[in-house]
Order: sequence, then C-alpha cells, then structure tokens
Amino acid sequence: MNSSEAVAKVGDILPETTRKVEINGIPVLLCNVAGSIYAIEDVCTHDGGELDQGELEGERIMCPRHGAYFDVKTGAALTLPAILPVRTFPVRVEGDDVYLETPQG
Amino acid sequence: MATPANVAPESLIEDYRHGFHDSEDAYAFKSAKGLTREIVQRISSMKNEPDWMTAFRLKAYELFRAKPMPDWADTALLDEIDFDDIHYFVKASEQQSQNWDDVPEDIKRTFDRLGIPEAERKFLSGVSAQYESEVVYHSVREDLAKDGVIFCDMDTALREHPEIVKKYFATIIPPGDNKFAALNSSVWSGGSFVYVPPGVEVKTPLQAYFRINTENMGQFERTLIIADVGAKVHYIEGCTAPQFSTASLHSAVVELIAMEGASIRYTTIQNWYRNIFNLVTKRAVAYKNATVEWVDGNIGSRLTMKYPAIYLMGEGARGEILSMAFAGEGQHQDAGAKMIHAAPNTTSVVTNKSVSAHGGKTTYRGLVEIFPGAVGAKTRVRCDALIMDDKSSSDTKPTMKINEQRATVEHEASVSKIGEEQLFYAMSRGLSEADATGMIVNGFFDFFVKELPMEYAVELNRLIKMEMEGAVG
Repeated sequence: MNSSEAVAKVGDILPETTRKVEINGIPVLLCNVAGSIYAIEDVCTHDGGELDQGELEGERIMCPRHGAYFDVKTGAALTLPAILPVRTFPVRVEGDDVYLETPQG
Repeated sequence: MATPANVAPESLIEDYRHGFHDSEDAYAFKSAKGLTREIVQRISSMKNEPDWMTAFRLKAYELFRAKPMPDWADTALLDEIDFDDIHYFVKASEQQSQNWDDVPEDIKRTFDRLGIPEAERKFLSGVSAQYESEVVYHSVREDLAKDGVIFCDMDTALREHPEIVKKYFATIIPPGDNKFAALNSSVWSGGSFVYVPPGVEVKTPLQAYFRINTENMGQFERTLIIADVGAKVHYIEGCTAPQFSTASLHSAVVELIAMEGASIRYTTIQNWYRNIFNLVTKRAVAYKNATVEWVDGNIGSRLTMKYPAIYLMGEGARGEILSMAFAGEGQHQDAGAKMIHAAPNTTSVVTNKSVSAHGGKTTYRGLVEIFPGAVGAKTRVRCDALIMDDKSSSDTKPTMKINEQRATVEHEASVSKIGEEQLFYAMSRGLSEADATGMIVNGFFDFFVKELPMEYAVELNRLIKMEMEGAVG
C-alpha cells in the first residue's frame, strides 16, 4: 500500500516557481501553477536532463538541454525532441504541508 | 577581373564586413551589426506580428544567449563565426538593391557553364528578388488554391493563417533545441509555409520559386509544412547553382508534419558560396502509416552542419533520408541523418554518400534510435565516402540506440579512395583524367541524382563535373 510523506512547505514554493525534492531515491519536481502544486519526475525523457534547471511557463516546463516542453499537470511531452511523458505523482496539501504519495522505485 | 576560382575572394569578404553595398534607399532597413533584445523587438514590430510571436522571439533570444556552441562538432571552424559582426535583419527592398556588376566573376562563369537562364541568375545572386517565371506558375497556384492548399511565405502565413501557424509552429523544433535553432527562432524571416488539407494530393512539386514574395532567400528562413490526414506533397527548395549571399551565416529551421497516412517529400539542393556557414535544423514527424522523405544535397559552403531527422511516431510510419555531400578546398560538410523509431512496425532507410576533394573534409554523423515497444521496427543505414586525393579526408560517426530486441537494424559503411584501375580503364578508352574522374563521381552519386526532377539532375551532373575540376564558384 502506498503511503504519503510530507516533502515541503507550501510557503517554500512560490507561485510560478518550482522546488526539487527527493523521495525514495526519485528526484521529484514540485511546480506551483497559479497556487496549485503539481509533481513530476525531475528527469527529461529525452536525454535525462534535470527539469528543475529549466523554466516554468504557466502549465508547462522547458528542459534546459534541448528545449522540450512538458505539461506539468499531465506529464505529456508537448514538443519534440521529447516523445515520452514524464512521470507525475499525486500531491496532497494539508495545512502548510505538501504531501507526496510515496512512489515505488 | 575574374576571381580565381579556388582562392577565397578577400575583397568580397571585406565588402561583406562593411555591409556589402549599403543602399541609402529610404525605404530599406538594415539592423545594426550584432544582436540585441531591441533588434529582436524591432524585427517583430516591423512585421506587425501578434504578441505571442514577439514573446516567442524574445524568449528565443534569451536561449540563444544562454546556450553554448556545440562542442562536438568542428569547433575550429565554428569559432570563426563572429556573432557581433552580422546584420540579423535586412529588409527585402535592401536585398534587391545589389548590383549585378558586384556578383563575383567566378559565380557568373558558373552560371554560364551550368546554363542557368538570365532571370534565374539574377534571382540566385540576390540582384533580382523575384524569379521572373512567376507568370508561368500562376495557373499552378490557382489550382492549389482551389484544392485548399496554402502555399506562401512564412510571414504571410502568420498574418493570414495565424491559427494554423500558432498550433504547429516550433512544436517540432522548439527554440531551445540548440543554439542555432534559438538564433533562428529569434530573428527568423521568410521561408515557406505549406498546408495540404486532408486527402488532397498535390501533383506538381511545389518549388520555393513559386512564391511571389521577395524574401525567398532569407538568411534565417523558417519553413513549416503540414500534410493533413491522407494528403500528399513534394516540396523542392534550392538549386544547383552557387547561391551567392552577402551574409556569412545562414541558419534555417525546417519543420515537417505528416499526419496519419500522409506523405511529404522534401528535396533540397544547396550550393552555397564558400564563405558561408550553413547551420540548419531540419526535423519531421510521421504519424500512423505516414511517409516522410528528405532528399538532401549539399555542395559548397565553408561549413555545413545539417542532420535531417524523422520521428516515426505512429505504427507503420516510414522514413527515408537520401543525402549527398561534396566538400572541396577549405570546406567541411558535416552532414548526416537521424531516424527515431518510436512506434511498432516503423521502417526507415538512410543512404548517405559523400565525396571530398582538393583538401575538403566530409563527416557523416548519424543517429538511429529504437524506442522500447517499437516491435517490428526495421532500419537500414548505408553511408559511403569517397576520398579523391591525399589532402582530403572523411569521418563516419554513427550512433545506434537500440532499446527493443524485436527490431531489425542494418548498418553498412565504406570509405574508399578513387580507384587507380577504374581511372586507368576509363582513360584507356580515350577519356581525359578529368572526364574519367567526373564520370566515376557522377556514378557514385547516381542514387541521389535519379531521385531529382530532370532539370535538377542535368544541372547537378554538370556541377559535379565542374567541382572535380575545382572550377566552381
């Protein structure tokens, strides 16, 4: 059964910014889109670049290496050269805490 | 006075540095050298672009500034590019104001020998902004319009078909893809836009010359071709005659989208003048049962870096890349192909042949990638290099990433020197050494030439023969 873990404070992730955390050895990027928090794996599916080094533009984030855009809500690759979606993780906010459902592996 | 064919015309390069025949025409606009945020903004406002395009250009400008130069390529040659010594935007009326007398003699001679018609010569050398056979093609354009085919330059497309442009523009090659795609994205001007509606087959190849616009020969062209479901189109750009340009850096972006069951063939032959850096990003997607073919010929330039790519995204998609490169004295043709199999039962063929002569250098740089789950994917890569003399060289750098066991991958490569025995045989039949060499090289490129429309094929054969003599401008 999955469990949840508090990984950050809401106040640490200002609107239109991101924050990188790690859970079970998986790098996860928390993205604040207009006050809502979304979580994606912090790895570009094109060639493994770290998305936290890229820029969050509304609901999409750009990989700094080759410019591929991903939808942070769905994980979908919006432009080449990325083809596969990035993993997304369910997020729960309770009070001031951001909880991530612990991903397996 | 004629410029010796194999000597870089310093005076010409010097002229360019000083803005090459600046016109004082009050209606012309030429941006100052170097690239700034203000110049990018000015380009966009002069074109009356929508806000989203201005924002796109500015974002791309930041990316261009931030991105490093490629460190995996011919860095010694790339270092010759002085980004601050380039005019990034020249309004078309300025381009027209050049004088035929200023076109180098060696280029004029090449036009003569290739048999290029008068009107086309002036167009190619930038003297006339418009190919004057426009009238001939008028009826062709009317037929296209009747079928709902849109064929215009990119600036017009953005004005008249903003919804289609916004939907597809930069989805295949985002501005952050590489430094030169970012540069193009920030300062692009001209290029072709083609949209073929579902089920429509365009029977006559579309040629860039068909366009009425004056910005055919843009330095930073942006081309987008969309074949909707079941549509078919063949697009041809370039020509065999040397393209003289006052700008030393050309960086185009070409995006092709073949929807389900659609077919796109894109034929280019580029023969740049030997002072030009030609750094191009070309990429296509092919969805279910679609076909994309790149037919790509590269002659001339100082350095060409061009790796047409096809992303096979839907089951049964097919890709083919046929390319040839010729590098003469002081030239490096760094060309190749990328084929990405991202769906089952996708098939592809890559055929690349290159010749290096008179101290030239060719590099084949290729990628084949097969995604997990692309069961039944089949690919065949063949690259052959012919080295004409001891001063010339060739490298082959193929990369294969195969992540699916149930796929078939073939790779074949050869590097050879021109055979003494072949030459001896041909010469014993009465051919001169130049004729014999030309014949052998033409035979080597035959696979490519036979894919071209007749007039291109004839010109290319003549051109190769002239290249072998070292007599091309």
